[in-house]
Order: sequence, then C-alpha cells, then structure tokens
Amino acid sequence: MRKINKMVRKWMTDKMELPADVTMDLPRITMIGQLHIYIENHRGVLKFSNQELRLLLEQGQLLIKGNHFVIKTILPEELLLEGVIDQVIYINEGEQKKR
Amino acid sequence: MKNSWTNTFSGFTRIKVVGKYTELFLNRCIHEKVSIWHIRRVGEETIVCYVALEDVKRIRPIVKETKVKVYFIERKGVPFLFKKMISRAGFVAGMVAFVAILFILSNMVWNISIEGASPKIEHELKQAVDELGIKRGKFHFLLPSVEDIQMKVSEKIDEATWIGVTLNGTTFHFNVVEQTFPEKQEPISPRHLVSKKKAIIYDIFVEQGQPKVTPNDFVEKGDMLVSGFIGKEGKMEIAPAKGKILGEIWYKSNVSIPLVTEFSTFTGEKKTKHSFSIFNFSIPFWGLGKIEFNEYETNEERHRLNFLNWSLPIEYHREVILEKETFVREYSEEEAVDTATLMAKEELMKKLDEDAVIKGENVLHQTNENGKVTLMIHYQVIEDIAKSQPIIQGD
Repeated sequence: MRKINKMVRKWMTDKMELPADVTMDLPRITMIGQLHIYIENHRGVLKFSNQELRLLLEQGQLLIKGNHFVIKTILPEELLLEGVIDQVIYINEGEQKKR
Repeated sequence: MKNSWTNTFSGFTRIKVVGKYTELFLNRCIHEKVSIWHIRRVGEETIVCYVALEDVKRIRPIVKETKVKVYFIERKGVPFLFKKMISRAGFVAGMVAFVAILFILSNMVWNISIEGASPKIEHELKQAVDELGIKRGKFHFLLPSVEDIQMKVSEKIDEATWIGVTLNGTTFHFNVVEQTFPEKQEPISPRHLVSKKKAIIYDIFVEQGQPKVTPNDFVEKGDMLVSGFIGKEGKMEIAPAKGKILGEIWYKSNVSIPLVTEFSTFTGEKKTKHSFSIFNFSIPFWGLGKIEFNEYETNEERHRLNFLNWSLPIEYHREVILEKETFVREYSEEEAVDTATLMAKEELMKKLDEDAVIKGENVLHQTNENGKVTLMIHYQVIEDIAKSQPIIQGD
C-alpha cells in the first residue's frame, strides 16, 4: 500500500511538474558557498559537534562534515548551519537506491 | 522565525547544556517549540546556546527528561538592562539629567550679535533688545516671535533703515542697515522761484531776488514769482532766488459719513492658553476650560523646541484670547456733520505741507440720504507755493 502511494506521488511529480520537496517530503538544501547550509524538511538532530552534523531525514540520514560548526537557527523542520562546510553526504539505509 | 532584535527586547540568556544526550535535548526543544539558536559544541558532552527568556521556564521538564544539566552563563536584552539600570540609579539619573540640561540650554538665548551698526546705534539697539526681554539665559519660547521682535526693534530705532532679526540656534542675530541721509544741499546754483499751484498771492517775503508778484495777484501754475536776475538793467547779475511766497489755494473735499456705525473693541478681559503639540497633536496643560466670552479674537504664538542643532517636532503653543465687544454708534445729523468736517480737515492736513494754514472753511452742500450724511466742503488754505527752477545759463 505504501509503495503504491509512493509510486503515485512520484508519477505526479514527474507529470505535473510539482516541486519534489513538497510532494515527496524530500529535504531542500540550500548552500551558500562553504559558509552556510540551510536544510528544510529534516526530522531531527542525531549528532552535533564542531566537525559534524548528522540529521535524520524522511528516508535515511544527511551527514555534513566540516569545521567550526554553529547551528544558527533551529526550528521543527528547518535548520541553518554556519561554519566551513566540506562535505554533504546522504546515508541510505540498507537496500534503498542511491541518489 | 524571530528576528534577533525582537529577542533583544524580550531578553534572552546563554545557557550551557552538559550531558550525554545533548542532541536529544535539542530535538526535544525543537519539538516543544522552544526557540534556541546559535548552538555550538564546546566539549565532548557540552553545548552552548541561546534561549529566549520567555522559554526558559519551559526548558525545565525537558532538562529532567533528557538528564542533562543546564547552567546560565549570560543574561542579555532589555529586561536585564533595566534591572541593571535600577541597581545603578545614580548613573542613569545623571545621564537623564545631562540630556535634560542639554535640552534646556538648547532653548535659551546665549548670544546676541549685532552686525552692521555704528557704535551709537548698536548701543541703542542693545537697549531696545534688552527692553524686549531678550537677554542671555532667557527661554526662546517665552520671547516674542522673531517677526515681532523685528517689527518692534525697527519701530524703536529710526536711524536704521532695516533691521533683520534671525534666530540662529541659540544666538539672536541682528543685521542692521543704517540710513544714510543725503547731505543737505545749499542752493548755490542760480534759480528762479515759480508757482507750483494755481493760487492767489497772500503774502510775499523775499530774501534774495526780484519779486515779480504782489499780494492779491492771481498766478497760474509755473508762473514766475521771484526772479533770479538782480541788479539794474545792463548790470544784471544772476543769483539764487530765495524767499517765501504764501498763496491762498482753494480746495474742495467731499466727505460722507454713515449715521449708524458698528464698532468692536477689546474689553481688556483675556484668557491665556498654553499647550504643547507633538507631531501636530496638541496637549493643553494650562488655561483649560471653556471660553466664556461671547465674542473674542485669538492671538496665537508658536515656538519650536530645539535640541542642539535640531528642531524637535515639539511645539510650545500660546494662545491669548481677547474678549471683544461690539457697540453701535449713532450720530444725530448735527454730530455727523461735526465729525465729517473734522475728518475732512484731518484728511486735508495730511495732504498739505506742515506749515500750511487752513484759513477758512465753508460747507457748500449737505445731504442726508440712505442713512448717510454727505458734505461738500470748501477750504481756503494758505501755503508756500514757491518752487525752485534753475536758471540754465547759455554761453
């Protein structure tokens, strides 16, 4: 049932040219150089340190690596991180397909 | 999301969170909609962040739940600033007093400068200004307006053609333009005296020259009265004629005066209202209450308050309400004739030279129509009719 739902949503996104982050609960990530990263649609903080921020997403996790991290703003679904960002990595659980 | 400046108004604190599950603490905070920001990890089990003052109490259950310890490091924002100010009341009072004194001093007269006046006039002007109450240390809003000062000062000092008054910050600036009288010219050039009006000669008095007329002669305008040629025939000399030729001139004047006239005068009763206006919003503070006069006239005066160089949107506003009284003046016909003749005479005197004499007057015609008395009066006036006419010498 869930799979069908997902398929319908994906089909709708493709055919109707709706933004994917709205229809499919995907994260929307905006980066300004290495200085800022703005993440919408996250599901909570898993780990936070000066060099690393691990966020829970609807599917899988997002790992941001860098230096001097400061969470400027944090709201239920939004997060603004400041620092020197080196890497943004998606971590997929098990068999889910890679992006 | 709240702006940082709204946070400074409502106040916020910096907290240190120590514990194993700091991330959990963060997630719980987000979930409870506790606004936290500027999160930074400082140690293995320590993070530092800001929390809005209004949310501080809501942290307590989350702290218990997640088994972390919270330490308050800093307190920032207006509420804490107020607390500090209260604890240092003397310092704050000093600051307020400073601004207040500066404000008071900005509205005082500090200097009176006079420009373009000779020492004599400068002295006179200084006295006149002093009489008006413009002295060092007086408040601007208690003084008459600049236009008024200019008018009064100009009236008092006749020697000056024009006195410009400006209020430049705290300085009254008087710019004087002095009158320069043309030097009196002695009539040294040879001239005749001729008549300037149609008249009958009344009397002649010649200092120099040859009189050409005798009393009771009739002269037209431009007729020769005293010739500048003197001496016997053949030995003619030219001299400036000098003398006084009095002629009798007839004037006719028409006056009409209504029998009933309405007048309004001030009774002397008055009421003064004081108010401040901020951005055109007026706040009366003295002279409240209704005006009990039936008829009145209002004189307004406005003064802007200054702070250093800037004029504030605050105005001091003084209103003087003067009671008026209307009364009806009714003349009988006789009285009307009397006043009319008096008026006509005054009017005539204005037109004539100073040394002219009204010798006789006759009412020629008198009507009383539509509540108006109309008179036609004939005057016989004796005045100097001599006018100089230079002799242009041909070579």
